[in-house]
Amino acid sequence: MKSKKGKFNKKSQNPINKLSLFQKNDAKFMRKCPFSKKDAPEIDYKNVKLLKRYISENGKILPSRITNISQKKQRELSSSIKRARNLALI
Amino acid sequence: MSYYEHTIIAKHDLSTADVENIKKKYSDLINKTDGELIKTENWGLLNFANKIQNFKKGFYIHLKFKGKSSTINEIKKRVKLDDSIIRDLIVKYKKLDTEKEYFSKNGKEE
Repeated sequence: MKSKKGKFNKKSQNPINKLSLFQKNDAKFMRKCPFSKKDAPEIDYKNVKLLKRYISENGKILPSRITNISQKKQRELSSSIKRARNLALI
Repeated sequence: MSYYEHTIIAKHDLSTADVENIKKKYSDLINKTDGELIKTENWGLLNFANKIQNFKKGFYIHLKFKGKSSTINEIKKRVKLDDSIIRDLIVKYKKLDTEKEYFSKNGKEE
């Protein structure tokens, strides 16, 4: 029969129903960037409520590997956080 | 010609007439120097997140306008000499969003 087992397995594999512990984890739980979705909120230095979600308790900017923001949007976000800091909004 | 946003922080001990005067002064200055005022917002008295020159709160005034580099230079000169202004920020935009207001409370602004 026509059966490309190798390729087929990789696609259907879920990290939940793995067969054994030593099986490699191909599919990861990747969250998408919250600002690249449809009708996502716009990043702006006036939107203090939004910016406060992406800073730590000490006021530091959270790294993108934790928040899963894309490179371009992270640059926008960090610049707008710095603007808000300058106006003492955050 | 490009779009700009100008935010001013004025001292907290000014009277309401003084704040209006500052707003008038800078909107006139924009209109004089080849600019075009689009919108003004009064954010009111806000508490600072951190102290600025030992002040704890201040009046925020927000101006949206269209202008040239000469208008920006003129504004920067005036702000430096003004004693009642603590801090200011000018941001350049390609498109201006005039509908959203993040600091409108009780529908008080004009």
